[in-house]
Amino acid sequence: MNQQLQNLSMVHSAVDNDFKFSDEELILRFQQGDEQSYIELVNRYRDRLINFIYRFVNDVESAEDIVQDALLKVYTHKHYYKNIAKFSTWLYTIAGNLAKTELRKKKTRKVTNLSQMGPEDKDYELTSNEPATDKAALNEYLEKRIQIAINKLPLHFKTIIILREIQELSYEEISKIVDVPLGTVKSRINRARLQLQKELKDIKIGDSI
Amino acid sequence: MNRYQFEDSISAYLDNELSIADRKIFEEYMNVNIDAKSLVNEIQLTIESTKNFKNIKTSKEFMPNLFKRIEFEKNRPSKKIIDKPSSTLFGFTPFYAILMSALVISFIYIGINFWPETILMDNSKQLFTGDIKAPTLDLDDLNTKTQSTVLVSKEAKNDSSDTTIINKKNLRLNNKVKFVKDQK
Repeated sequence: MNQQLQNLSMVHSAVDNDFKFSDEELILRFQQGDEQSYIELVNRYRDRLINFIYRFVNDVESAEDIVQDALLKVYTHKHYYKNIAKFSTWLYTIAGNLAKTELRKKKTRKVTNLSQMGPEDKDYELTSNEPATDKAALNEYLEKRIQIAINKLPLHFKTIIILREIQELSYEEISKIVDVPLGTVKSRINRARLQLQKELKDIKIGDSI
Repeated sequence: MNRYQFEDSISAYLDNELSIADRKIFEEYMNVNIDAKSLVNEIQLTIESTKNFKNIKTSKEFMPNLFKRIEFEKNRPSKKIIDKPSSTLFGFTPFYAILMSALVISFIYIGINFWPETILMDNSKQLFTGDIKAPTLDLDDLNTKTQSTVLVSKEAKNDSSDTTIINKKNLRLNNKVKFVKDQK
């Protein structure tokens, strides 16, 4: 069966898929037994999810494990999805809950992640195939500083900032994922942005660029 | 517009959700206050910087590992809780059966003790201080073995409509009740 799944994933990557099913159509087909639909969904969301989770846990390996947990849950609990909300809403809700659980576990373990250190310390460097330029180095520096500031935010602000600014989801979708009214989402975004700026007060982004 | 209103409107301004009139007021405030303008610019630049964050990609082992986990999940034997069959009494273990029985018995005992006395009162108990018993309605039932002290005359016995026969001799009401006939 494992080999079958791998064969399906290879077939999928080889075929030029001009006709794309929507996410909701794919999950429906998967619920009816089409495993290739599941693989298509995995391929669509795995990179988006790892970027989302990484912003919570700041560790690529942990983020990858959590993404696998989320996708495994989709596989084992496929029938829990009802076509009332978007599939992405359901998936982000699962992934977000797993990320928050991991954060809580980390707090109790009190493990200091090297990537949470400031730029003056040695920290995790994101691999890049592009040649290093001054601008790229500057962007990387800014990214780390912003990430540190995001990490200092309360969890409900952090979640909303990541979903809005990094994942670029709409307010309506964020409202469904975090399960708060639309007005509350907009209010939280505003306050989260203001608080993020307070954390970034020591550097002026305008001067750096 | 004050500073609080201004700060509350920053996101709406940046997301182009303000009405034309509100936008005008916002921009006027911004132009007058340098700090306010600086704050809006910084927030805008931070948002743009987040768009330039590097995209992290999953590793090459991601899919094989995921498939392994799916396979493991499929083939995992279902968790069976094998309990030693224990003797139960109506679904209760012996200990809980004894406990429940004791509770039920104690509730019944307490209930009986707190039951109103009037309900438990014996019928032979007299309501009045006198020896008068409640007159029997069944005039034909004059068994001498009964405890009733009602004396019924032959005429009354024949008169089935008269149901208020009282033995005046045994009537002791302590002057609480006086019959109309007795009042002079």
